[in-house]
Amino acid sequence: MEKERKIKVLIAKPGLDGHDRGAKVLSFGLRDQGMEVIYTGRRQSVQQIVNSALQEDVDVVGLSILSGAHLTFFPKVVDLLRENGAEDMLVIGGGIIPENHIPILKEKGVTEIFGPGTMIKDIGDFIRKNVRKIA
Amino acid sequence: MDNKDKLAEIKEKKKEWNEKVLLPAAKRFGIEKRPTKFHTPLDIADFDFERDVGFPGQYPFTPSSYPISLVPRIEKGAKPGGLRRAGTYSGYGTPENTRDYYKLMAKLRYTGGPNLALDLPTQCGYDSDNEMVEGGIGKVGVAVDTFRDVEVIFEAFTGDQDLDKIATNMTINAPANILVAMYIVLAEKRGISLAKLKGTPQNDILKEFISRGTYIFPPKPSMRMFRDSVVFFTENLPALNINGFGGAHIREGGATREQELAFTMANGIAYLQEGINAGLDIDAFAPRFSFVGFGGSMEFFKEIAFHRASRCMWAKITKERFGAKSPESMRIRSPYTASSGISATTKQRALNNLTRSVIGAVAGVLSGGAPMAFPPYDEPLGLGWSLEARQLAEDATRILMYETGMCDVIDPLAGSYYMESLTNEIEDAAWKELEKVEGMGGSVAAIENGYMQRSIAKSAAERQSRIEKREDLIVGVNCFTEEYELDVTTSKIIEHPYSEDKRYDAEKQQKATLAEVKRTRNNREVTRLLGELESAAKKEDKNLMPLFIDLAREYATLQEQCDVLRGVFGEWQMDSFV
Repeated sequence: MEKERKIKVLIAKPGLDGHDRGAKVLSFGLRDQGMEVIYTGRRQSVQQIVNSALQEDVDVVGLSILSGAHLTFFPKVVDLLRENGAEDMLVIGGGIIPENHIPILKEKGVTEIFGPGTMIKDIGDFIRKNVRKIA
Repeated sequence: MDNKDKLAEIKEKKKEWNEKVLLPAAKRFGIEKRPTKFHTPLDIADFDFERDVGFPGQYPFTPSSYPISLVPRIEKGAKPGGLRRAGTYSGYGTPENTRDYYKLMAKLRYTGGPNLALDLPTQCGYDSDNEMVEGGIGKVGVAVDTFRDVEVIFEAFTGDQDLDKIATNMTINAPANILVAMYIVLAEKRGISLAKLKGTPQNDILKEFISRGTYIFPPKPSMRMFRDSVVFFTENLPALNINGFGGAHIREGGATREQELAFTMANGIAYLQEGINAGLDIDAFAPRFSFVGFGGSMEFFKEIAFHRASRCMWAKITKERFGAKSPESMRIRSPYTASSGISATTKQRALNNLTRSVIGAVAGVLSGGAPMAFPPYDEPLGLGWSLEARQLAEDATRILMYETGMCDVIDPLAGSYYMESLTNEIEDAAWKELEKVEGMGGSVAAIENGYMQRSIAKSAAERQSRIEKREDLIVGVNCFTEEYELDVTTSKIIEHPYSEDKRYDAEKQQKATLAEVKRTRNNREVTRLLGELESAAKKEDKNLMPLFIDLAREYATLQEQCDVLRGVFGEWQMDSFV
């Protein structure tokens, strides 16, 4: 029987925001749940994030921003992924995102936004439920 | 009966109490694995008042940095003042937006100098017209590209609020010297002597590598920039603090109490050593080190003990290791002591954060400082506090100051069996961890090899794991979350002091401003000075401050200067250490 491939996640910090406690904690936590997680490190451009996602052929891209630049970065990552044929790559986001920005981001293709206090278990459940079907 | 016999008797009695009283009760309530604790003289058997505690404001400073409370007693019938300071971390959008914000705040009687929040491009040494930093202009603070922007911000500070009457704080680290140079040129233009400039550039680059992330150059050349600060400020800016360093950011990044204390002390040692290596006398510059803040968590007694331990440690390091003679060198000067911390706040039922910050403020008083109910409850909701949240936080602080009588006494827990043993425990663990860092070669080495970054990431992950398993409880987050619980909020009837529209418009405005500055300045002189900067940067012993001042005067941009330095110093390779 063929062994099921692990869900592969890229956790990325777009822009200059240095607050990466959440990104690191999430990387550890999802790894503990059996996923394969790559953390980009800080200060990634949209192009760098998309390149990593495509190169690693990840199933999920998790974007973390606490600096208020989410409206600029999140939609750009989604657009560039889609332009490059990653139609079914799940894009989720987290950080300090004001409530009224969440519908805007969802409309632009970010599937879900997770705020402070979210349990990693819940993020894991969400990913397993919404990730593209892995052959 | 002498002390030894007395302790033996207590030991005997404690054993008896344990077996006959405590354990049966704990068993009955099912807590025999973790029974409630009680402390006795046995926990501080070799306690020595003068060695371990001493008097407030004297070595080893355990009770307090100062002999009196920072909350002055109010004469009978007098009106209490203070607290409404402009000096709350603030600033957003363009320099014009921030200037207007401070003018608005002055109308609400927030006076004193600003505590400038700068946007991330500024903190990381990029200009507003750089494509790479799109989306970040004016977001978490105000954009500063050239001296022109500093001129505009400080239009809000004139007359009885002029530069010689206020203290200006700037949360700036990697390019701290460049920002201070701009401030110096402003003083020159206003005819104010440098000796009168007060304030604090954060200038704590080591903790940026460890946790906060706004580094530019690698650790070693970054420390050379710090050396320039120590030497130039000591000689020319005697009233300006050299830095406002501390561990709060390291804790927020995930560090345990002991890691934070050890790493901050290791950083302090590295900074002190720069001054010593440059040939300065310790007592000539250590008194101008200030502390932006330590700690922050909901663990009430541990935070109090932590502050007692931290004062004691700094005093021992400055006195015993560096041979300081002046008490000013040994004293931790910080605007606040214990607090509940930023990461204790919850987005869920955010008004609860007021309760949390009040508990932190009580710990502040009990840990040898003034109370500070901080942060305002809406901290986790987005950028910039509402005026309602600020008023509630300030009133909470005032209630503690003026209604409770708590500030009439310093370190009331001194001598407590529990508090003294807890203080020792934290201090011992921190010394041990500090020794480990020193064994690697100190802070710079422990950053270069990733030890500090890895350590705090691991601690952060462990904390999260405890939260997920409900070993650590957070009300409204991992417990008491049923649907019948109410999300109590305050009404939003007062306009937010930051304008959302202006914040999102800042990028366009600031780019236009910068283009105009570049068009009208003496570009030939800027180019010449940048060339000089490059040659000076290549000579290790050269102090770059005088050149930054010349460059500020000619409206050279922050990024133009940082790019020259990037060329010479290189950039910190951003390893993720996960």
